[in-house]
Amino acid sequence: MTSKDLTLTNVSRRFGTVTALDNFNLHVGVGELVALLGPSGCGKTTALRIIAGLESLDSGKVTVGEKDISRIPAHKRNMGMVFQAYSLFPNLTVEENVAFGLQMRKVSKHLRLKKAHELLELVGLPTHAKRFTHQLSGGQQQRVALARALAFSPEILLLDEPLSALDAQVRVNLREEIRRLQISLGTTTVFVTHDQEEAMSISDRVGVMSHGVLEQIDTPDVLYNAPATAFVANFVGVMNRIPADLANGKVSIFGKSLTASKKGSESGKIVALLRPETISVKKSSSQGNARVLTRSFQGASSAIICQTHEGTIVQSLMASFDTGDFHPGTLVDLEVSTNEVMVTNV
Amino acid sequence: MTSNIKVEGAPLERSAFRFFKVTSVLPALPFLLIFGFFFIYPITKLIYVSFMSNENTFTFGNFQTAFTQPYSTGFVNSIKIAFLSALIAAFPGAIAAYFIETRGPSKLKRSLAMMNGVLANTGGVPLAFMFMAAIGMQGTLTKVLKYFGIDIYAGTFSLGTFTGILLVYLYFQLPLMVIVFSPAIMSLRREWVEAAKNLGASQINYWFRVGFPLLFPSFIASFLLLFASGFSAYATANALTVGNLPLTPLQIGGLLDGNVSASQLNLGKALSVVMILISAVAVIPYLIIQRKAARWQRR
Amino acid sequence: MKRRIDLPLLITLTTLALFVFVPMISAFEYSIRTPVEGGYGLTNYKWAVADEDFLYYILRSGWLSALTVLVTLVILVPTVTWLHLSDSKLRPLIDGLSLLPLVIPVVAFAVGAQISLPEFVQNTVLELPFLYFILALPYAYRALDIGLNSIPLKTITEAARSTGASWSRTIISVIIPVIRGAVMGTIALTFALSLGEYTLTVLLHWDTFPTWVTFVAQENILGAIAISMMSLIIPFILLTGITLLMPDRSAQRRK
Ligand SMILES: Nc1ncnc2c1ncn2[C@@H]1O[C@H](COP(=O)(O)OP(=O)(O)OP(=O)(O)O)[C@@H](O)[C@H]1O
Ligand SMILES: [Mg+2]
Repeated sequence: MTSKDLTLTNVSRRFGTVTALDNFNLHVGVGELVALLGPSGCGKTTALRIIAGLESLDSGKVTVGEKDISRIPAHKRNMGMVFQAYSLFPNLTVEENVAFGLQMRKVSKHLRLKKAHELLELVGLPTHAKRFTHQLSGGQQQRVALARALAFSPEILLLDEPLSALDAQVRVNLREEIRRLQISLGTTTVFVTHDQEEAMSISDRVGVMSHGVLEQIDTPDVLYNAPATAFVANFVGVMNRIPADLANGKVSIFGKSLTASKKGSESGKIVALLRPETISVKKSSSQGNARVLTRSFQGASSAIICQTHEGTIVQSLMASFDTGDFHPGTLVDLEVSTNEVMVTNV
Repeated sequence: MTSNIKVEGAPLERSAFRFFKVTSVLPALPFLLIFGFFFIYPITKLIYVSFMSNENTFTFGNFQTAFTQPYSTGFVNSIKIAFLSALIAAFPGAIAAYFIETRGPSKLKRSLAMMNGVLANTGGVPLAFMFMAAIGMQGTLTKVLKYFGIDIYAGTFSLGTFTGILLVYLYFQLPLMVIVFSPAIMSLRREWVEAAKNLGASQINYWFRVGFPLLFPSFIASFLLLFASGFSAYATANALTVGNLPLTPLQIGGLLDGNVSASQLNLGKALSVVMILISAVAVIPYLIIQRKAARWQRR
Repeated sequence: MKRRIDLPLLITLTTLALFVFVPMISAFEYSIRTPVEGGYGLTNYKWAVADEDFLYYILRSGWLSALTVLVTLVILVPTVTWLHLSDSKLRPLIDGLSLLPLVIPVVAFAVGAQISLPEFVQNTVLELPFLYFILALPYAYRALDIGLNSIPLKTITEAARSTGASWSRTIISVIIPVIRGAVMGTIALTFALSLGEYTLTVLLHWDTFPTWVTFVAQENILGAIAISMMSLIIPFILLTGITLLMPDRSAQRRK
């Protein structure tokens, strides 16, 4: 079965007074991996469950390829899903779990076990076929769940925080593996997570959600460097929020005049949003405009946290070799290296 | 030479040390003493005495008599009533537990759990009197049914008969089934239904491949516990029968009271030991299954 | 939330309600009949309550049950806590022992107790709380075990000990409050079981409230039925009321 593209059009879902999804739109291309990222309760799981057919929708439609599947029950959709944890059937062995989807599709025992072993090989567990699931570690269980979701060659693969119950190291390894498998099988995939590093590192595109709507969906680079909204800017990566005055589309920060990227004639008090790597720190010969609070060494780069004389905390990210003598208390000059800045209301 | 002694001394010292570590059971001592004195000792003595003749010599005679009339009928009746009451209660109880656990709001669940607890445990005496009032010869329900043309006393029915006792037993067996089976229902994770659906399983497929296999051990275990509960029930039967229905617990009670005399003084003890064995055959598998099921019931 | 009427649940509940309440209500109707005057009245209830033995046996059963609860808590809470903390090799043994009473039918246990316990024990009614303790043990032990399993016991204990609390203090003012759900469950269960215990009590020739009812039945069956109704319905209403009034725990957490 070849993969198809997936479209959600104006999907809404309310739970009592809570609007979990509000006219939600999403398109995932064939073979693409899209991550849905957002704060807790923003509707990521709901979106995924609606795609899978495990949750009903109030309005809107879900399309796979050319076909509207909104009214098709979950077990007749052809989608593999990996849950957060504990979703393997405890009464079945690992291979029986993996072969389950094929069994439901009436594939002969011989063929489905062969396919199950192939997939177990792919996820690195060829020797665990006869075990029961409680004899596996958390990471191994999630591998089996992945194999199970892929075994029947689903049109779409859905993953709901599949790594959140695992240790940091396992998490990193497994996400790389998921990506590798996904590319080699070419399965259209939606990956829900609230770990932005995870989302950014393995996705073709990342969709940032807030309160049931998709704020922005773009490649990780665009999302980071050109966030469409203040919410995305704040949510993705570290962002400095520096109070300033806006006049005639210009903002003055640390003595430098920057063009506000948000168009409009409004002026007055605003907050400028600047990434740490766009701010550099120089040792000051006199008072400077800030004082170093701490320096945290992160390998090749170091984060220097300063406080301006006005009281704002500012973080800068610089190559480590430049930062050795920024001891706490050192008076410094902060400088901005870009010419454009995103602003938001106070 | 001296070094030899030392070498020998070392393990000695260590074992002495280990012996001293027996003090590390000290915190459990009150429990062990009380349990030993009030439970292990009585049961051991019971088993010992069951092999004693009237002259305090060793004998199998008590057990031989235990399997003759009227005691063998007592066992047959007791096993029959336990088996039937457990069987009849198990299915509706399991289904009720399922709907209550999966669909009931939490307040309903908690108050039903409480009510079931009262019904399953309040014990037989009040239940017996309640049933006398309801479906005794002059009972209210008897009259109501008669009014609708159903005369339950038309045949041989009476509360003191096998059928009568069976009916009353159901009244505590059904709530007991709901209580002991509910944890198994709760341990069915929502993820399993959803994963099954997602993998293409219909509702029926899910139940036959996953749901029933997971519930089956707990179902058998619950059934066994109900069996044991029905088998050893005493109070209800004691209040409702007047010696006309031979049941082992009643026979033992009679022998203990001296209301019934037997030529063998320790016959009652032998009957008790046989009861323990039969009960163990049901309860021990129950405990083992519970422990096994706990493997996936954990979180 | 949209609340549709759940048909299977409704059918289940109706059937259960019929099963439970039809005999109960019929029996109640029977118990308020007044054969002498005709019609209905609370004569039987008045008769039962007026009997001075009524209060006597209620109180007697009450304090025996309270004592059983005390024995259970004093023996079990420290033991189970210690077993959880020490990783003692005794733990599997005691786990197993605590379940043994389930295997022994109460009648057999009564016979064993009667032929083995020494005179001075059998001569005092205080043997009952200890024997009831044995009967309640499988349930009480399990409840406490589950309660202690669900909390980070080691951390909590070490924190309490490191701030200078003695062992008894740690158990009483730290551990018990943390597992109060399990402790309350244990108390309720042990108390209810002791209050209703009949078989062991009557076979060892002691008189408590349940055995008194059978005694009453010999002279006044209607009175005995009235008492039985009370001992079934009162805890029923009381417990259901308490559960309904208690705040919903999951709702509370959401707030
Ligand atoms: N079955 C339900 N009943 C009532 N409310 C629900 C239900 N499922 C979700 N919600 C609500 O809908 C909103 C979105 O929930 P959802 O589970 O989609 O969030 P999420 O983005 O997955 O969050 P998280 O990162 O915490 O998993 C939440 O406010 C949640 O409380
Ligand atoms: Mg979620």
